[in-house]
Amino acid sequence: MIPDLKTCCLILCLILAGAMTSSTALGGEEIRFSRDVLPLLSDRCFHCHGPDPMTREAGLRLDLREEAVKDRDGTIAINPGKPDESELLARIVSHDDDLRMPPASSHRKPLSEREIAILRQWIEEGAQWGRHWSFEKPTRPDVPVSNAHPIDAFVQKRLAQAMLQPSLMADRGTLVRRLYFDLTGMPPSVEVFDAAMADRSENAYEKLVDRLLASPQFGERMAMWWLDAARYSDTDGFQIDAERENWPWRDWVVQSFHENKPFDRFIVEQFAGDLLENATDEQRLATCFHRNHMTNGEGGRDPEESRIDYVIDRVNTTGTVFLGLTLGCTQCHSHKFDPIEHRDYYELAAFFDSIDEDGRAGMSAKPYLKYRSPLAESVYEQAKDFKEACQKEREAARELAVREFDGWLTDVVKTLPASFETWKPIERPELSSLHGTQFEISPDGIVQTTGVHPHHEDYRLTFTLPADVKRLTGVRLEVLTDPSHTDSRWSRGKSGEFILSNVKLSVARVGSSQVREIEMNDAFADYEAERGKTETGYNSVQNLLNDDPRNGWSSIGAKDMSKMSVVIRLTEPLILADDERLTLTLMHRSTPGDGNIGRFRLLVTDQAGLPVESLSPSPFEEFVNAARAEVADADGAPTAWSLSQLDPQLRERLLEQYLIDHEGYQASKDRLERATQQLKETEKSRREQSVMVLSEKSQPRTSYLLERGVWDAKGEVVHPALLDQFLEWPTNDRPTRLDLANWIVSRENPLTSRVIVNHLWQLVFGQGLVRTPGDFGLQGEQPTHPELLDWLAIEFMEHNWDVKYLIKLMVLSRTYQQSSDLSGALLASDPENRLLARANRYRLPAWMLRDAALKASGLLNSTIGGPPVKPWQPDGVWAEITMGRFDYKPNLGPSQYRRSLYAFWRRSSSPTFLFDNAERRVCEVAPKLTNTPLQALTLWNDVTYLEASRVLAETAVASESKELETLARALLQRQLSADEQGIFSSLQQETSEYYRQHADEAVAFTSIGQRPALSQDAAPGIASWMVVASSMLSLDEAITHE
Amino acid sequence: MNDFDMQLSRRLFLQQSGLNLGGMAVAGLLSGSQTRTTLGSDSLRPSTDDGFGLPGLPHFAAKAKRVIFLTQSGGPSQIDLYDHKPLLEKLAGTDLPESVRGGQRLTGMTKGQKSLPVKPAVPKFSQHGQSGATVSEWLPNIAKVSDEICFIKSMVTDQINHAPAMTKFLTGHQLPGRPSFGCWVSYGLGSECKNLPDYVVLISKMKRGSDQPLYDHYWGNGFLPGKYQGVKLRNSKDPVLYLRDPNGLPRELRRSMLDAVAQANELKFEQAHDPEIATRIQQYEMAFRMQTSVPELADLSNEPESTFALYGEDSRRAGSYASNCILARRLAERGVRFIQLFHPDWDSHSNLSSWCKARCDDTDQASAALLTDLKQRGLLEDTLVIWGGEFGRTVYSQGESWEAASSGRDHHPRCFTVWLAGGGVKPGMTYGKTDDFSYNVSEDPVHVNDLHATAMHLLGIDHERFTFRTQGLDFKLTGVEKSKIIERILL
Repeated sequence: MIPDLKTCCLILCLILAGAMTSSTALGGEEIRFSRDVLPLLSDRCFHCHGPDPMTREAGLRLDLREEAVKDRDGTIAINPGKPDESELLARIVSHDDDLRMPPASSHRKPLSEREIAILRQWIEEGAQWGRHWSFEKPTRPDVPVSNAHPIDAFVQKRLAQAMLQPSLMADRGTLVRRLYFDLTGMPPSVEVFDAAMADRSENAYEKLVDRLLASPQFGERMAMWWLDAARYSDTDGFQIDAERENWPWRDWVVQSFHENKPFDRFIVEQFAGDLLENATDEQRLATCFHRNHMTNGEGGRDPEESRIDYVIDRVNTTGTVFLGLTLGCTQCHSHKFDPIEHRDYYELAAFFDSIDEDGRAGMSAKPYLKYRSPLAESVYEQAKDFKEACQKEREAARELAVREFDGWLTDVVKTLPASFETWKPIERPELSSLHGTQFEISPDGIVQTTGVHPHHEDYRLTFTLPADVKRLTGVRLEVLTDPSHTDSRWSRGKSGEFILSNVKLSVARVGSSQVREIEMNDAFADYEAERGKTETGYNSVQNLLNDDPRNGWSSIGAKDMSKMSVVIRLTEPLILADDERLTLTLMHRSTPGDGNIGRFRLLVTDQAGLPVESLSPSPFEEFVNAARAEVADADGAPTAWSLSQLDPQLRERLLEQYLIDHEGYQASKDRLERATQQLKETEKSRREQSVMVLSEKSQPRTSYLLERGVWDAKGEVVHPALLDQFLEWPTNDRPTRLDLANWIVSRENPLTSRVIVNHLWQLVFGQGLVRTPGDFGLQGEQPTHPELLDWLAIEFMEHNWDVKYLIKLMVLSRTYQQSSDLSGALLASDPENRLLARANRYRLPAWMLRDAALKASGLLNSTIGGPPVKPWQPDGVWAEITMGRFDYKPNLGPSQYRRSLYAFWRRSSSPTFLFDNAERRVCEVAPKLTNTPLQALTLWNDVTYLEASRVLAETAVASESKELETLARALLQRQLSADEQGIFSSLQQETSEYYRQHADEAVAFTSIGQRPALSQDAAPGIASWMVVASSMLSLDEAITHE
Repeated sequence: MNDFDMQLSRRLFLQQSGLNLGGMAVAGLLSGSQTRTTLGSDSLRPSTDDGFGLPGLPHFAAKAKRVIFLTQSGGPSQIDLYDHKPLLEKLAGTDLPESVRGGQRLTGMTKGQKSLPVKPAVPKFSQHGQSGATVSEWLPNIAKVSDEICFIKSMVTDQINHAPAMTKFLTGHQLPGRPSFGCWVSYGLGSECKNLPDYVVLISKMKRGSDQPLYDHYWGNGFLPGKYQGVKLRNSKDPVLYLRDPNGLPRELRRSMLDAVAQANELKFEQAHDPEIATRIQQYEMAFRMQTSVPELADLSNEPESTFALYGEDSRRAGSYASNCILARRLAERGVRFIQLFHPDWDSHSNLSSWCKARCDDTDQASAALLTDLKQRGLLEDTLVIWGGEFGRTVYSQGESWEAASSGRDHHPRCFTVWLAGGGVKPGMTYGKTDDFSYNVSEDPVHVNDLHATAMHLLGIDHERFTFRTQGLDFKLTGVEKSKIIERILL
């Protein structure tokens, strides 16, 4: 028989593959199943031949040895010792597209020659099976014989194998800076840095480490890590994104790290603090961890669907954060790679299924713990002090303004006009309509509509302001009845009633194609239809401004009126340029339609206050009339009338109107209002807060496996059960969350300690020993230093899960203290620094950058805990995604300068200044550092960095010609080189020259944040150093962990 | 020094500093890639140099070079806009037959209703163009360009509430955490434009607080590196966050600052040898260029009067949907890869005749004008335009008195209409059918994942092969279930 071509190829391949057996696959190194073989089988085979029965092909499983070696009708997938009789190998090397594995249609990479050789050698050596490394309980490996610190002993052993040397030690200054960022999240202050540098004692470094670990800032630094992992947020995240009061939990986290709560306790309390005997409030508070998920209160949503989502989020978070397992994969089906079945998932979910919750959101997301935070008090005190200061400022400003008012009044009396009318009619507006309505205008500006009466219609009135109206503060629309209307009422529509749905005001420059919309703040009318009486909601004049045709203002129900008026106040007074024209659009787009206004007149005013906040006349009009009435003089000269005759109440109204236009007074008033608001908020935070926590229903729910993970596709009933494939656990009838917690922190659990140690390593070294911190499963990465990881995991557990001990151990190693210099050779031989022959050099997280700017400038307010605060953020960020539902008001006073940890976290719009931080929608454990132009813009132009630069500039100028040194020491913790001095000196000189010639711009540039305006004399100097400080803040070195 | 000279000087600086790396790495340095910065699981991914996208992509010749996605948030009513059902006039007020509803769950908003009366379309319908497309009178301008459009009337989703449905519609999965369609495209294909982001998001400025906030995960990067996330072009003094230099800092001083910082960073590079420093210098330069290119883009004052006449009165108002449509065309002209508009408030639970009509008034003329404008400029053929929202609306009235002007329609995932134009899609056709009630798809269902697969295909991407590994799994936009390309609508 002549073999066909396919068979020939197959034979040839087998021969080729066979030829490779003489040389071993790993160059003499032994093949280890878990390190070398299992990842290959997992990645290329398990998708179709693994734990998930739903996607299993040909009934073949390669994840279990007894299945893989089975004789199946004469073919054996893996025949131990006989690679040439193993179908697995034959199929991998096959050239027949129909036979070759993995099949092309799977889009999985074919195996490389080296990988094939590994499999071949492994089968030849007997196909020894084992478990995935992280599923075996760690045992303490022997520390390689060495005088070195144990971490260094492991690292250096590995380096020696690769013929590499560790880097030199980082210089002392770099090291102190590095340590400060790693342990406190901020740089040292200049004084503290100098002291650390000056301490030449034997154990100076260790003393510094101890001091930093003991500082409360260590707790804050660690908390930021945990908040990202815990997807902590101050809002729900969905739909109306309602606020929560869970911040006391955040403070519990800070405190736990600060007091060095053993990490197993930390875990147990967060999983099951409520189930501990005689549980304290703080232990209950801890369980908020599992309530930090997003919640959805969307109107049409079934709360049960939401509740199931929350349960699922808890399971997935448990997997990622504590176990390094991608449990989420098993929500819909059995795991494709790891030995976790669909059913296991819901057995685990059953632990979280009987929480006494009902799937609701906002402040109805029970169960709650009523909790009064001890940390709210000092925040409140600060807010009170700030408010009192603002109060004094405002009183002073008012006194000043009142004196100016008196002067103004005296002057005004001398030039009193003959008459004054608040509202001036627009006599000749240009009129047009969208659907053909015609207009007739009388000389007094009254407009009568004629012609067609469309179902929906817009009237457009274009006009300029009368000569004596210098600015526009409000418009007034008078709607009039007319005999030509239906029943002589308001409209030519069927009912005679008018329904106005919206009003818009815009400005356009003559000759320009674009228009600018003018914001209108509120509306007041002398008639509104009674609520509930009209079929639809055209009963609120305020709704004219909301661009919503489903509601508005109408005449429905009006009796005995022939004129109806509405006054609309502009948000800001508007001053028109000569070539600008206004357009007012009256929109009749209501749901019922057929209610267009029949007759109307438009009036405008330049008066602020009362006349545009009501239908009352302007106090100034009253004043002029009163004064005129008193005067007997036939010529109308005002001199005979004296100010002393002025009615005190009218005088008071006049003053109020005057103050509205007084900038200085208004600024202090706004500030006081904000301070008052802040005080109110902090006052609220002193009361009992409702913190979302865990507690069990008295009767547990029946839990189900959910088919395909769909919330209402209930499958078989399941009971809580632990993943005994990782650790068998004797349980009573119905294990509880407390059992789950104890299982997680058991010394026998192969995963937890390794996973946590890896997190901690990542915090200190920038990258974990396992570079997929959320996946220790088969598809995750192998540890770079498996023995070191195990040694640390055991060390951690044996030291009672002591976080500070472990971190100290790490930072005392020489490996930590290496230089981060990337010499060409090191970068080329180990670009990802997997062997740790150097320290990692990476950009600091955004939150550390902000905190560093606050600290370096001295702006930092180091208060710990309390309700969230709102740092500077560009205007309108919240408003634009919610179309104005939320508005972000940055904190004023010292609370502006709190650490980023305390920044209010709105999930639908996370703080803009914390670019590339975890988004906290789901738990995140891997670092996500990027390098984009948008970050550069943030560092240049965010108010926090500019304000810090201004303060730094002032410090520099006060340093008596040590400006550059002052800035460099504050921001880089070092002196500048001569070259660098040259660069920044010439920048400063150029800048200073510019600002000397443009003092106005210097004043504008330095007026930032809450800094008081500088004089024209002082500003140029400060501005030039502010430019230098801002530049230095954005230096690569300033933002880098070296 | 112009941009090219800047580039050149960096190149020289790298050469002179004696940096000797493999060609790949140096190429990465100079183009501002993220070879090393992006820590975590994607560090093993091939580097994606700006402008080049992933190696091997596109998989095949693309019909569409870019996408303009006109996202209509809130669930536009297919019954009142496109999916004409004459039979409903006769059945008006009768209860929706149980056989049609087939056990479909009701949302919390109509759960309490005793009856589900059929509410016929409020506006009138007629046929338009050579293709004879049925479009309602509320969309007269879209009707006029219907010969450019491919209507898909058989869209299906599996989510019935806004946030999960929109998340599904944009990221392929109902839970937040996956990259948006635009991010995938930006990640895979890179950029044609050096001075603007690859993926730009434009949100209509509305006066009234919307009931459906536009969460930033709708254009979020999910597990992809942050540089791929959509950049919101805002209608404000700062079109991109932090873009504008502070008052009193003139452009020339910003340039001097940047030069000083670059010089100092170069000194640092000589000492630390970190290629990331070179990347940073590049990114700072890009930021500087964006400070002029973005305002220049956003400034419509140099558009002729005819543009505003075409896009309608509302296009004169910055931040309006119509004005954003002009911006979309300008972005397309500049080679931006993925342009996504959001227009909120299609959620017509009540007062359908004013509320849904209001959205039509906001968007009709400008959407049509965009197609006309792109076509005039020769851009339509390689720009895929997508119009659609997260789901449709029910045939039955929300509010038991179906005739009342105050009644509306509830959410409906089982069928809705999306339309496509340009970018290799057959113009002037209708794909798919629904039953007489516009309740169930009766022919050629298209799941949202199929829409993604098809759009990817038009961009030259095989959605099956375009994956990203995270958490040990290869994720793709189209998800786990098999998705199909809608072959019949392809040119």
